[in-house]
Amino acid sequence: MNASGLWVQLNHLSTATRTLLRDLHFGVEPGQCLTLLGPSGVGKSTLLAAVAGALELMTSDETPPLRCDAQVWLNGRLISALPCHQRRVGLVWQQPTLFAHLTVAQNLLLAAPGGSKAQRQQQVVQALQHAGLAGFERRHPNTLSGGQASRVALMRALLAKPEVLLLDEPFAALDPALRSQLRTWVLAQAREQNIPVVLVTHLAQDIADPQRVLEIAGA
Amino acid sequence: MVRLGRLSPHITRTGAGLVLGMACVPPLAVTLVALAWWPEAEAWRGLLAHPTFWVALRHSVFSATLATALAWLTCAAWCRWVMRQAQPGRLQRALPTMLATPHVALAVGVGLWLAPSGWLLRLFSPWATGFEWPPGWSTTQDPWALSLALVLWLKEAPFLCWVAAAHLQHRTHRQDWTRALVVAQTLGHGPNRAFALAVWPQLAPRLRWALLAVWAYGVSVVDVALVMGPTNPPTLAVWAWQGLHHGSSVQQGMGVAATWLVAALALAPTAWWWLRGTGLARAMAWLNAAVARCSPSALGLRWGAWLYAAVWLALSVGSVMGPWPFPDLLPSAWSPAAWASVLQAGHTLSDTVGLAVGAASLSVAYTVLWLECVPPQWQRRWQWLLWLPLVLPQVFWAMGLYGLALRVGAEGQWWAVCVAHAVMAVPYVWLVLAPAWQRVPAQHAVVMATLGRSPWAYRWHVKWPMLVPAVWVAWAMGYAVGLAQYLPTLAVGAGRLSTVTTEAVALSAGGQRVVGSAYALVQMLLPLAVFAGAHWAARGQRVGGKVA
Repeated sequence: MNASGLWVQLNHLSTATRTLLRDLHFGVEPGQCLTLLGPSGVGKSTLLAAVAGALELMTSDETPPLRCDAQVWLNGRLISALPCHQRRVGLVWQQPTLFAHLTVAQNLLLAAPGGSKAQRQQQVVQALQHAGLAGFERRHPNTLSGGQASRVALMRALLAKPEVLLLDEPFAALDPALRSQLRTWVLAQAREQNIPVVLVTHLAQDIADPQRVLEIAGA
Repeated sequence: MVRLGRLSPHITRTGAGLVLGMACVPPLAVTLVALAWWPEAEAWRGLLAHPTFWVALRHSVFSATLATALAWLTCAAWCRWVMRQAQPGRLQRALPTMLATPHVALAVGVGLWLAPSGWLLRLFSPWATGFEWPPGWSTTQDPWALSLALVLWLKEAPFLCWVAAAHLQHRTHRQDWTRALVVAQTLGHGPNRAFALAVWPQLAPRLRWALLAVWAYGVSVVDVALVMGPTNPPTLAVWAWQGLHHGSSVQQGMGVAATWLVAALALAPTAWWWLRGTGLARAMAWLNAAVARCSPSALGLRWGAWLYAAVWLALSVGSVMGPWPFPDLLPSAWSPAAWASVLQAGHTLSDTVGLAVGAASLSVAYTVLWLECVPPQWQRRWQWLLWLPLVLPQVFWAMGLYGLALRVGAEGQWWAVCVAHAVMAVPYVWLVLAPAWQRVPAQHAVVMATLGRSPWAYRWHVKWPMLVPAVWVAWAMGYAVGLAQYLPTLAVGAGRLSTVTTEAVALSAGGQRVVGSAYALVQMLLPLAVFAGAHWAARGQRVGGKVA
């Protein structure tokens, strides 16, 4: 698979007792957004975790172990055998998952690519300005509103220069007006960086591009 | 060329195996040495025929049963009170101070209040009691073991409450149980009965292990029994410990047999529970019914918290008292002699602090290795090894430690005592660290990985900085546990090392109240200072945090 963008060929995704998803193929080209639509519990989030290579990391004592047979290509690279941190995949959940012990700037610094410390700090300042959060550098995550925290989480993911952005209902906890505004903003950012986006949602009104929707009903 | 990536699972597995091995060897070795010490039939016959044996057995069973039942009822009353509060109240905040108070210090302090010449009678004499002289009562070291049961109750009730608090603070449990409490009350039951019907039956089974631990501790305790327990004969655990150190081989044999009996007594309810014995279920049902009937008020519970403050006060005054004629409320003169004596025993203080620091550092380092390196499924399978020092009775454990120290030639060595203390501290350190490790959201690892950062970068920048406050608290806990050890110090130290704990027990059991109080106060202050330091360091860490 030499095409650019993200291409996924999933044979099966299952727990020890039931199959969540089977025989699923899809692709997204750079700058496009594919919406995965389906009811809660069919395995959409698990699919995103599988694409990100995060299934093992997400497994805890309270969750059943998952088995996944899938091939994932990103810009012509087969990444399914790579560990999560080598895949260059950005992932944002409904919960912003900011690191509570760090300031906003420190959260973003973790994602800023190489360079001198001054350069990286400059990138962080610019990113915050871009997100409409100038002056928030020293704030702690627990002092942010839901929308502000979501924007920091999205900006952190984008600052790492991922080759694909996976969004797992990141706007679900926001009010409709803010949700629409933030969706437009993040898709514009992704287009600017020319990366594909996969958006998971269970709400039809969240569909980013009606031409590119994949409905998932489960196995 | 062999790639490091291919080697890494093997390195991880070997590391996990090493850590697991470190967990297995000390507790298993001690247990096996103790198990190998099976007494001969003659020793059993001698024990059963001994004139004081049955009384000693009765003291142990009575004091442990009474203290366990009272601690259970107190815990139920406390939980009911907490369930009615929207926010954790003062009583909940007082728990750490109560837990940090060493058993021996509490026993010495309670003794200063309860003694015939103690503060309690002075408060009411002579105007209410008519006493001009201390009465000839046996209010401490009484022949019924009541004062021992009282101290065990006061010390073990906060422990049960602490275990219950962990469940009550669990968000899902709290929501479910609050709803259950409301539903039961809408069905016409009063608040107390609603709690006993709807909440306590869900909470009580989760406290069963802690309850069994309270019983096992009560029946096998030596240091507190030496200070507050009956003396002629003492409790069975003290009887066994004294027998083990007797010059005569016949007495030693009976001491070993008594140690085995204490172990059997301590573990009997656990075995009974495993075998689903009806008697234990009936006892639990009776206790649960008592929970519905008795309703100590929040005021009564607050008095329990104030008792600890009273102990502090008694130790502070007791350590500087000069001549103190009865029934004066305060000494007629003050004397720093006891403190001068404590300060002169510089080696005791340095050994105490050194052993506690060593035990805390070793136990924290080991537990962190365990949590980081051992895979979760291995942890689940082998976790019981960490609990052996808590589950096995003190005397039995001390017997194993003594035997092991003799075999490896480590008797009287500082490092061996330090390791013995560290092994005792590991379960408590694990209790603090494991929930903190489990609370780190799994998503954080994923976020860092999706940012292109390695697992080590995740540990260094995110996971470990988040856990630093818990590590400080765990270190303080390991320090407090190491400092409070009595039998392991004697068993492995062979009398060559003394700590403030061994001194406090020896002096208080020998009736030297003033110096005993000073040592008991030092025993309380040292962990408290470290807990305060840990709290301060942890708070600083929460405010700060940096990224390279």
